Amino acid sequence: MTTTSALIDRYVDATLRRLPERQRPDIEKELRASIADAVDDRLDAGSDPADAELAVLTELGDPARLAAGYADRPLQLVGPALYLDYTRLVTTLLATIVPAVAAAVGLVRTLQGGTALHVIGDTLGAAFTAGVHIAFWTTLLFVVIERVPALRRAPARSWTPDALPEPPSRRARYGELVTETVLLVLITTFVLLSPVVSSETDAAGDPIGVLSPWLWETGVVHLFIALVVADLGFSFAKYYARWNVPLALAGSLVGVACAITLIWLAANDRVLNPAFAEAAGWPSALPRWINAGLVAISIGTLVHAVAEGIRRARRR
Amino acid sequence: MLDEELLSTHLQELRRGTVVLACLLILEQPNYGYALLDLLGRRGFAVDANTLYPLLRRLEKQGLLAADWNTEESRPRKFYRTSEKGLALADVLSRDWSELDTAFRTLKGGS
Repeated sequence: MTTTSALIDRYVDATLRRLPERQRPDIEKELRASIADAVDDRLDAGSDPADAELAVLTELGDPARLAAGYADRPLQLVGPALYLDYTRLVTTLLATIVPAVAAAVGLVRTLQGGTALHVIGDTLGAAFTAGVHIAFWTTLLFVVIERVPALRRAPARSWTPDALPEPPSRRARYGELVTETVLLVLITTFVLLSPVVSSETDAAGDPIGVLSPWLWETGVVHLFIALVVADLGFSFAKYYARWNVPLALAGSLVGVACAITLIWLAANDRVLNPAFAEAAGWPSALPRWINAGLVAISIGTLVHAVAEGIRRARRR
Repeated sequence: MLDEELLSTHLQELRRGTVVLACLLILEQPNYGYALLDLLGRRGFAVDANTLYPLLRRLEKQGLLAADWNTEESRPRKFYRTSEKGLALADVLSRDWSELDTAFRTLKGGS
């Protein structure tokens, strides 16, 4: 019997350390015997003792891998049996909770009267934190399920063709397009008429517009309307033209630009005319609520545009 | 020419599982880890030590192999032998293997 060397001891320890206590004595005896047998074999073949040990241990390979084999432990975080359920759950949670958190935080920060930069920063920060938490905890949950056989044995839901996503009907999408067009015409008309048609008049009898005159002075209102019209144009293009990446990307960008412009205007209180609020005798909190509502709607549009882009890209 | 990596992946896929059958058949005569590794290699079932040793324990846990410690010699060794259940499985697997073999022969003969 060869005396076991320090190297073999270290190898055996490294393997046993990764095994449950009750398996250790038996595996240790067997592993040591197997290593000694292999070393003896090489010595008989005329090899140098130190070389023989090195060769045998090298052949056995990483003790962590050997221990995983003994313990029947998977060498992956989430295996193929669970992977699809895992990705589906993560995507669903990310697609629902992150936008909800972002909208809520954006709304609250706007109500508290933060600057645009703060509102956007806090919203993005909260969305990011929520996303990281969802990804981390869901992954951890599945890693545990993968490693606890009792949890894994639950019969897997078998897939049937019923689970295939339904393509949205052309008629339903046409309905969306019509609604979008009508809304756009109404909003544009309202915006363009607002300086001249108003329920309130000033001392000289001229109408006080409900929207901030700053929008006209700077020309921002025209930029905004141009963006909204372009957005509608892309909606038509998406409906009638074949889907392609540049078109979808441009459409999404215009949608995002619209939403961000509106968030920026609302957060900086550039939308409403303070003179109108005063003349109409609005309570002081009302303009802030309207701004917050605009921000919330914009965030919703933003999320919708991004989600829609991803969904369409995935279906191709 | 077939590239090395492609070849080894497919060979590995094809041979996966054959080691189990070979173990069940060889261990009708009781034997211990290292000697079995050596024997398998010489009989044309090359397998790595770090695959075989855990596999033996898994088969023992599944009741396909029975194991006893032999402490009569200076170096105590764990001897494995195929159990009744293991023999039954070996029977089914062998039959399946021959059926596959026949099927392949028919395929090649028929082309």
